[in-house]
Amino acid sequence: MGEEAKEEFEPKIVGFTCNWCTYAAADLAGTSRKKYPPNSRIIRLMCSARLDPMFVLKALLNGADGVFFSGCHPGECHYIKGNFYARRRIAAIRTILKQFGLDDRFKSYWISASEGEKFANTMKSLTEEVKELGPNPMRGKII
Amino acid sequence: MKGAELKHGDLEGLLKGLLEKGVVDCLIVPHRAGKSVSYMLVKHADKIESSASALFAPSFSVNAANLVKGWTIKEKVGIVAKPCEIRAAVELIKLKQLDNESVLLITTDCSGAYTNQVYTEHYAEIGDQVDSAKITELEGKGITIRESCAICEHRLADVGDIIIASGAGDDLVVAGLTEKGEGALTALELSLEDKDLERAAEKEKIAAEAKAKLAGLPELSSLDALEEFLQDCIVCKNCRDMCPVCYCKECFFDQPLGDPAGGDLLNLAELRGAVGLPTGQLFYHLTRVYHVSTTCVGCGACEDACPKDIPLTRLYPVITQKVQEIFKYEPGKDVDEPLPFTAYEEEELEECLR
Ligand code: SF4
Ligand code: SF4
Ligand code: SF4
Ligand code: FES
Repeated sequence: MGEEAKEEFEPKIVGFTCNWCTYAAADLAGTSRKKYPPNSRIIRLMCSARLDPMFVLKALLNGADGVFFSGCHPGECHYIKGNFYARRRIAAIRTILKQFGLDDRFKSYWISASEGEKFANTMKSLTEEVKELGPNPMRGKII
Repeated sequence: MKGAELKHGDLEGLLKGLLEKGVVDCLIVPHRAGKSVSYMLVKHADKIESSASALFAPSFSVNAANLVKGWTIKEKVGIVAKPCEIRAAVELIKLKQLDNESVLLITTDCSGAYTNQVYTEHYAEIGDQVDSAKITELEGKGITIRESCAICEHRLADVGDIIIASGAGDDLVVAGLTEKGEGALTALELSLEDKDLERAAEKEKIAAEAKAKLAGLPELSSLDALEEFLQDCIVCKNCRDMCPVCYCKECFFDQPLGDPAGGDLLNLAELRGAVGLPTGQLFYHLTRVYHVSTTCVGCGACEDACPKDIPLTRLYPVITQKVQEIFKYEPGKDVDEPLPFTAYEEEELEECLR
């Protein structure tokens, strides 16, 4: 793809974030007027452990250009250990995605409620990375 | 481990003994019907056949664990089957789809197996039992073992409660791996002595051969490749139904979201412009790979079950092995080892987050 086309490309990114940390961090980024690209659509989960890897698969297969997940730092889950279990599931699905060269479109982070700035910066770098990757080829496919 | 030496001819008596002495209430054992071999559920000892010709027959019909999946009965069921089948049963115990107290798992050595169709068709050449030399010889004639067997590293019996290991010629060793297994053999009044059935060198050789075969398989390394691989899939979900470790009472892909029809399908077509029919091959298989990612025992039952001859071994066991590697987990090995998704370490896998 030429440079021009790349510049026009505004990726669609689906984000799954934990209510207690990253979702609050997104709020904080907003209330403290941190600017970040509007490409991500955020879906709030009550805990990392609610992230069913099928959500990631479905988003990617339906053409989301990027998918991210973000939860409380390990050891800081509101429900004590939800993110420890989530980390294992993510490791498994990432291994599968990697086999098919899809793992580049899936990112995961730990962002706590107080890290509004980190959230804004993460959204910036994420959007850049996904722009680099270009549109998800699944978008136009008949599946 | 403690065991006893036997001859092939003794097996009939051993199995009958299990029923007669009340060690088990019933037995699922290989059953020979003419040229072919399947299973039977035996309640009365007199129905036990002279089983030598069936017990080690290199024929795969169904995964025996799939036959008892979800059985939650008090009666004790003895299951005599190949390593991959017993491994699946062990996973089912961990998944609470089978009660450890209600089964006696008896594993036989396996040499690699043919699909039951190939076995029946070529029974004259294959016979009742094969070894690796025979397998290679038959390969020359175009009679090949299942791909899942070619890449299987766990052909020697080393899981379950009791193992039946074949030695030279007519010799066998039967040994207890668990207290339950040893108790059963003691009840049969076998005189048990210490046995070493580790067979490390033999296992290494099998593993090396299996790894070489695996390396020779075409790899599915892109989404395009997977799409092409699944092009003929009609989403009949037979691979799921025959998989011993796919156990949900109500599969997502039998529900409206996973199996859209009518208006739901029109909505999808509206969203994407068009949908393929049948739809959802990628979603179905990628989800299933994830669902069995830690528990897949590589038995190849999915591939055997596919009416469209899709070589599913190249998808399921090949990829799930990679997931099992990151958790250092070997499905079916140890009934007391927790399933990877039910456990965690506080510090681990950070490389998987990025
Ligand atoms: S997968 Fe392994 S244990 Fe199962 S039938 Fe094949 S060789 Fe035997
Ligand atoms: S996915 Fe296939 S190879 Fe794996 S356990 Fe299920 S049927 Fe056997
Ligand atoms: S058995 Fe074959 S055709 Fe049926 S769903 Fe599985 S891969 Fe598709
Ligand atoms: S509550 Fe945030 S990860 Fe569990």
